[in-house]
Amino acid sequence: MRDDLLDPRAVLLHESAPDREAAIRLCGRVLVEVGAVAEPYVEAMLERERSISTYVGEGVAIPHGTNASKEDIKRDAICVVRFPGGVDWDGEQVVLCVGIAAREGGHVPLLASLAEILLDPDRAKALREATEVSQVMKELT
Amino acid sequence: MAGIDSKDIHKIIVACDAGMGSSVMLASQLRKQLKDSGVTVEHTPVSSIPDDADVVLCHAGLAARARAAAPGKVLVPFQIFLGDPAVTRLVNTIKNGGTVDA
Repeated sequence: MRDDLLDPRAVLLHESAPDREAAIRLCGRVLVEVGAVAEPYVEAMLERERSISTYVGEGVAIPHGTNASKEDIKRDAICVVRFPGGVDWDGEQVVLCVGIAAREGGHVPLLASLAEILLDPDRAKALREATEVSQVMKELT
Repeated sequence: MAGIDSKDIHKIIVACDAGMGSSVMLASQLRKQLKDSGVTVEHTPVSSIPDDADVVLCHAGLAARARAAAPGKVLVPFQIFLGDPAVTRLVNTIKNGGTVDA
């Protein structure tokens, strides 16, 4: 995996958000701050979410932009933002957001690992409850 | 259109809007489940489903767009990204033989 795909600075484990939009904006902000995307990508993440929820199960959502917004991606990157208090996600409770910016395939192995984790309830719980950045990095990479 | 017999399925496309999130996760799972079957699994944006796709999987909310973008393909819509019964049925049909309905 490329070293800069999941930057430790892009793993925030003690956040809170009043609603889904705020949670996605926070994920987008993180991707902007690590230099992965240009500002307009954040709006595209909200647009994408309005079309179909990115909730994938086990309290996890994977917000990302639209196909058209790929031009705002500077490099493939992932962020992990945890909301211990939960966020209402169109009726589901989301505790962990894995935000994605990808125009190539660099992130495929990470998402494959995430799928494996989410299909194992014990590992999914461990990921949701992780309080150390190193734990999250270890699980996902 | 009519369905497709499992022995005629060589390539499955998992399609979503951008082809960077949920379709990637589902494709990785399918690839693992079908690794001994000789079936290729790829993920693409709905707008670039390749001509040689035999079956297209996509979220039910994107089914109309997928149908318009790839007319005549067998389309299997699903609701849940991981563990959807429609996807499980497709995997079982490929492994055990049978017809996948359009």
